[in-house]
Amino acid sequence: MAPVLRVDDLSVSMTSRTGELVPVLENLSFTVDKGRTIALVGESGCGKSMTALAIMRLLPDGFVITGGRVLLDDEDVLTARPRRLRALRGNAMSMVFQEPMTALNPLYSVGDQIAEVLRYHRRLGRADAAEQAVGFLKAVQIPAAEQRAQAYPHQLSGGMRQRVMIAMALACRPKLLIADEPTTALDVTVQAQIFDLLAQLQDETETAIVLITHDLGAVAELADDVAVLYAGRCIETGPAQQLVDRPRHPYTSGLLACVPHLSVGTARPEQWVDLGEIPGMVPSLGARGPDCAFLARCANAGAICRSRPQPPLHDITAGHAVSCWRVAEIAA
Amino acid sequence: MIVQDSMWPVAGSPYLLDVNDLVVHFRTGRQRPWSKPSFVHAVDGVSFRVRRGTTFGIVGESGSGKSTTAQAILRLVPVTSGQIVFRGEDVMPLTGEPLRQVRRHLQIVFQDPFSALDPRRRAGDQVREPLDLLQIGTPSERDARVLQLLAEVGLPPEAADLFPHQFSGGQRQRLCIARALAPEPELIVCDEAVSALDVAIQAQILNLLKKLQRERGLTYIFISHDLGVIQHFCDEIAVMYLGKIAEQAPASVLFTEPRHPYTWSLVAAAVPPGPLRDELKARYLVKGDPPSPVDPPPGCRFAQRCPFAVDRCREESPYLDAIGAEHFVACHRKDEIPPPEFAVSQG
Amino acid sequence: MSTLDPSLIVAAAPAALPAAKAASPTKAAFRQFLRSPSGVAGAAMLLVLVLGTLFGPLVYPVDPLDIAGLPFTPPSADALLGTDYLGRDILAGLIHGGRATLMVGAVAALITISIGVTVGALSGFFGGWIDSALVKIAEFFQVLPPLLFAMVLVTLFGQKLTTITLAIGAVSWTAAARLTRAEFMRLRDLDFIKASRAAGAGNAHLILRVVLPNALPPIIVSATLAIGVAILFEGGLSFLGLGDPNTMSWGLMIGQNRNYVLDAWWAVTFPGAAIFLAVLAISLVGDGVNDAVNPRLRRR
Repeated sequence: MAPVLRVDDLSVSMTSRTGELVPVLENLSFTVDKGRTIALVGESGCGKSMTALAIMRLLPDGFVITGGRVLLDDEDVLTARPRRLRALRGNAMSMVFQEPMTALNPLYSVGDQIAEVLRYHRRLGRADAAEQAVGFLKAVQIPAAEQRAQAYPHQLSGGMRQRVMIAMALACRPKLLIADEPTTALDVTVQAQIFDLLAQLQDETETAIVLITHDLGAVAELADDVAVLYAGRCIETGPAQQLVDRPRHPYTSGLLACVPHLSVGTARPEQWVDLGEIPGMVPSLGARGPDCAFLARCANAGAICRSRPQPPLHDITAGHAVSCWRVAEIAA
Repeated sequence: MIVQDSMWPVAGSPYLLDVNDLVVHFRTGRQRPWSKPSFVHAVDGVSFRVRRGTTFGIVGESGSGKSTTAQAILRLVPVTSGQIVFRGEDVMPLTGEPLRQVRRHLQIVFQDPFSALDPRRRAGDQVREPLDLLQIGTPSERDARVLQLLAEVGLPPEAADLFPHQFSGGQRQRLCIARALAPEPELIVCDEAVSALDVAIQAQILNLLKKLQRERGLTYIFISHDLGVIQHFCDEIAVMYLGKIAEQAPASVLFTEPRHPYTWSLVAAAVPPGPLRDELKARYLVKGDPPSPVDPPPGCRFAQRCPFAVDRCREESPYLDAIGAEHFVACHRKDEIPPPEFAVSQG
Repeated sequence: MSTLDPSLIVAAAPAALPAAKAASPTKAAFRQFLRSPSGVAGAAMLLVLVLGTLFGPLVYPVDPLDIAGLPFTPPSADALLGTDYLGRDILAGLIHGGRATLMVGAVAALITISIGVTVGALSGFFGGWIDSALVKIAEFFQVLPPLLFAMVLVTLFGQKLTTITLAIGAVSWTAAARLTRAEFMRLRDLDFIKASRAAGAGNAHLILRVVLPNALPPIIVSATLAIGVAILFEGGLSFLGLGDPNTMSWGLMIGQNRNYVLDAWWAVTFPGAAIFLAVLAISLVGDGVNDAVNPRLRRR
């Protein structure tokens, strides 16, 4: 069975003030199957949101796709004509954003906004669309959905608004849902609820999900696979649990080590233990050479890393690939 | 609602700060011109004490009043009532010059390093600002001090001549820390100071804050919504919900035997993925969002969302009672409901 | 103060900083202004007008109030731009009148902005009852028709240039006050203001040294445009016969010659064109300043 989404060698560049092309995303490839979730993980500036926008063909001005293909059910999104693209967006693929307040139109009730999507894409009548909109609000577990459908975005809490966004994104039963940091702006208890909701809806609809997040520790809950991005390049990809348990790239293990995870039931050590630290920061756009982008921050860098360009991803076990010259030595 | 004996911290006392029944209400206008105005009960009777040289954490969700509490301690928001005793002196009645002198020992680092620096002034001038305003040292001593502070937070001396937009988020937060350190305060309030940063940068800043605490014997009040960060960074922790403290305990106690259903819910939401998380979430994670703190209902603030609430919880507000050494819980049913078992996890 | 160990600094430096020492925002804005074609064009026009009124009398030493020839002489070799209904030289009127007109514009704008910024800053910074009271006062001025109000003031206190200038300032400060108030309210709650307060800053320091510099960009733009508005205002008052009859100004020239516009077009057209050019130049400069100080709104 063909994957729902196949991204092949996708490259995105930014046009600088002097007119040069500065690479933002380089040769990114991944696939997502029906009912599966891939998480794109990395710090800000690593290109994960650009990937999402490139797939949707929603890149902001000044950014261009310089190579690669994005196949949605074997149809190339990058060469689709504007009319076809509009039909694909919303119908076949849709997106949930980080900040649900700005992503909803404040002048229409949330029920109307969902109904609008249904009327546009599914050509439903006014009454049918309104009825189904309430149904979708129920599906995303909004209590008193009939009344809430009449509410305007500012009358809802952040969690409610994100549920509405999800209802809207899933209204046309898309094959692919892109969730760009869907819980970052929400309270912790609400975050957990939204993750549960996404997982449950995915079980029912078999939607493929591309989840964009900065929290590598939390991806194992929702994602099947993970791709770790660094400075616009994928440096490690593999099954989520395996990657979190046994990270192989120094950046991946660094990311995991620097987050203090809650541990319960045991007393924490009395003495403060410094958190794992990745020194420095992500190299800025335009300051990225052909050699390993993580080189300057890597504690394990050797002569080989400095003398050669960044290696392509190579499999170390089935499905688990790493872009690191010293992966074998570091593991040992 | 006084939870501790009323001994005020004096010189030599282990307590640097004693907050007593702090109340901050904001007026939000009225439904109709003739109706009574509504009030946001941002902080509604909060009391705690902070030991010298330790880190006191306040954790909670939006609307819990954690940031308002922090800013009220510095008198950056108008306080409705209560007592804030800092270094043995009640700072509530102070205004003008005495208040300025107190602020010398009491500094703050904000969440958003982009709005916390004046975009139109050079970094060095901003680090210098407290020294200039409080007339600390001679002008040349101040210049030297700025360079020393920059070095302490890991910035090169050239940073002094740059403008805020030339720094990354992490570097800006280092500048904010340098500015807070400038007047040599005893207490620094970190109001979500690492929440806006990338995880790798967050670790750098947390390590830096800890290093500074070790070197200078600083006391921190650390506000965060991230339970993992709170657990690692804080010695004592207060869990706030809708303007009140729900539970307060030393870090080692809070995460081994939490006793408030709201703490359980927070823990369930923050435990790393695995079988324990699934189990805790199924049993303790509350539904819905935190309600608005405008005109809250009587009774326990958490009763609306609490899976264990009974009629009494909705009618009568619970007191924050001591249930162990330094462990306080505000729950009517604390002795009836068994606390969660965490045994599954540590495999 | 201990001396610094340079090796410590290098070791602790988390990342490279931009090599270049930055220009201050003011210098950067000035450079940006020089890149704006309309701004530079407006500034050039304005410069010509100002230099013309300053040094014109040296080149063309004719008294604008003297009778220079027959009334309604068309533009000719005797009177380059003709004469008005009393036979006064129009070119001399333009040169001398420009001085008064531009001066009235600049001073009235200064008054407008001073009152407006003071009221707006106090109102926006303190809020509460101070804000309510000041807003009420501003509203009182706002509901009066400005031209009518200015006419009343000039009629009461006499048709002198100083009275006219003060009257224009007194009736037009509310817009600047509203703008400043909004900026102050926006900035008041930002963290860096709170940080300054926590660092021991008092209200005067916060208002003048911290909030005001950050509120200035839109105020500067509105100040520039206020000059143009004041010039038009002066023209309007003079046109209605409320100019200062003893000081030549562009508005006065139009006002006094308006009845003869069909017989002597030049007497009205040239001062009218001068006002038009001055206001246009000021608007263009305002445009350039806006581009320079509001980088976010700048067109790409």
